[in-house]
Amino acid sequence: MKILLALDDSARAMDEAVRLASERGAGLTALFVLDTGWSVYIGSDFLLGSTARSKFLEYTRDDEYAQERATVEAFQKRAQAAGLDCIIKTATAGRVPEAILAELAEGGYDTLIMSQPFRRGLEVMRDAATQVLKKAPCDVLFVRREE
Amino acid sequence: MEEKSSVAKVLAIVPGLAVMIGTLFLLRTYVEPWMKDAVVFGQKGWLVQVLSLNYILLSIIAGIIYRNVFFGGKIPDWAEAGFRTTRLFIKSGVIMLGCLYTLQKLAKVGSIAILLISTFVFGTVFFVIWYGKRIGMERSMIGVMGASCGVCGVSAAVATAPGVNAKPSEVALAIATILGFGIMTMFISPFIGKALSMSDYQFGAWVGTGILNSGQVLATCLAFNPTFAPGTAVAYGEIWNVVRVISIPFVVFIITTWACKAEAAESCSTGSQMSLGKVFKDRFPIFVIGFFGMTALSSLGWLGAEGSNTLHLMREVMSWIFGIGLVGQGAYIDFRELRRAGGKPLRVGLVAGTLKYVVALIVIMLFVSKDASF
Amino acid sequence: MSDKAKGKMTVFKTDRHEDAAAMVFVSLVVIVVLTYMAYVVPTVTIKPSQDGKLVSIAVQTDQEVKKGDLLYTFEYKDKKFVNGQLEEKLAIKEVKASTNGKVLSVGVKEGDVLKKGKNAILVMDHEKGTLP
Repeated sequence: MKILLALDDSARAMDEAVRLASERGAGLTALFVLDTGWSVYIGSDFLLGSTARSKFLEYTRDDEYAQERATVEAFQKRAQAAGLDCIIKTATAGRVPEAILAELAEGGYDTLIMSQPFRRGLEVMRDAATQVLKKAPCDVLFVRREE
Repeated sequence: MEEKSSVAKVLAIVPGLAVMIGTLFLLRTYVEPWMKDAVVFGQKGWLVQVLSLNYILLSIIAGIIYRNVFFGGKIPDWAEAGFRTTRLFIKSGVIMLGCLYTLQKLAKVGSIAILLISTFVFGTVFFVIWYGKRIGMERSMIGVMGASCGVCGVSAAVATAPGVNAKPSEVALAIATILGFGIMTMFISPFIGKALSMSDYQFGAWVGTGILNSGQVLATCLAFNPTFAPGTAVAYGEIWNVVRVISIPFVVFIITTWACKAEAAESCSTGSQMSLGKVFKDRFPIFVIGFFGMTALSSLGWLGAEGSNTLHLMREVMSWIFGIGLVGQGAYIDFRELRRAGGKPLRVGLVAGTLKYVVALIVIMLFVSKDASF
Repeated sequence: MSDKAKGKMTVFKTDRHEDAAAMVFVSLVVIVVLTYMAYVVPTVTIKPSQDGKLVSIAVQTDQEVKKGDLLYTFEYKDKKFVNGQLEEKLAIKEVKASTNGKVLSVGVKEGDVLKKGKNAILVMDHEKGTLP
């Protein structure tokens, strides 16, 4: 059995994925998607001067990498504590759900675990759950976000 | 991701651009003339006269429909590069608008614009700082909201965010708020303007002062009166717009300095080495120089005399350039995203935006005469 | 790490390049429009700039005109805000030739009602190199 965890900053989703994988003795892969959608998100704004846009895009990129490091680290800590061997992957995409679906299609997973609402990159502005659910080829487990 | 060659990049633009041009062509040759003659509620041309559904708003609506209905919420890859040229077209249109003025006229109206805008910019910034603190918003986000509500909406938010270290996810919420508010005002302002029988001068001044996102000022003016000529709403609104755009670097500088003052030095990486000159160099929109260049040419009479067929053709070309750009602008409006605007940015944006919009309306109606100044 | 997560800007590196491109584009448009009007366009049709009524026409077919010569006068409703009130009064506007040229045909007669941008009042040939 193979489980895919779509990473965001939700600790509950990580815990749940680690617990489920240990209980069932399943292989766990964690996927972190870097969001490259910012240039489209601010794409219509024509009043930006000189290098303001590229500075901001660099700033969001750095923030994406910082989040990647922090999230992956937080996940590894949990996996190690549970004595679980897992694969960590990163992907880039204009839209996060697309990358998750691409990984699902490729890897032959049985279950996808993600938090709901899913807060990775610009998905705070969108509904990743619906996008993923529409096309997911496997079981999907949504984990409520701790508020 | 392999680097594509320049030729491939330019070719990638073609499909999206074709959609934008084709749409505008259909709207201007078939849809708008039909709407002008259509009888709704017993009045000929009701759609155009009362709802202001001229080709300007129709192009934006067409773009919105593409994005939200046909494309299912995302500009598809084949059209993405083409739609992104919307910026180039609108910038070109803004530059060409320079031919509506002479330098004397620009100086005359510009001074009133500078006075009104600086009052409102600083009024709004102080209000956002006060209100943001009251509802406990983070200092960095107060900075972003202050800049965006104060001057130019999205552009100001984007220009300020890296300097004050605002969280990108919060900036996304702020942008959605500003865009959503801007679109709302874009559709209701012409209606209010007509109901209060505002003159073109008053309308341009009001919209130029009161609308949150400068990107929507010109479209709103054109929705009110789609004619490109001296003395129309767009001619006045554009002066306001240019003053606002020029003020972005100053406001960014002031706000970044304010936001970084109280923060620990390490969290404001850019704070220590920031100077007004550097901010100006990084943030000054150079196309404004082109606008003044056009005004200079028109002052010298090199573009033909007022009322001549040459200027007429020039303005016709300009209206097409704007129209193409506006289809693209519409395609960047995603209602699903706008609906998710929320949190403190939404509260601050709505309160500050509405206040600015209403106060600007009152000030204009009371103190700015209907008599056009040129 | 690469810049993969940064996203792209169509053909331009920064907005500075894009602004420059917009200026080049506008310059080209201006040059094309001016050249077209000065040298290429064979005849110019003069249309009314406002709705109104033709009062008198000062030229005839085949007449040579100089820059500044009176072409026609028309009467229109001048809407103006005076002291906050919209006033409508009839005004007379004289339209003069903006360049030297020759009248090829006259399309209207005195007393005709003119629609903005619709009626062809005069068709003119203009001196090459001038802007009609």
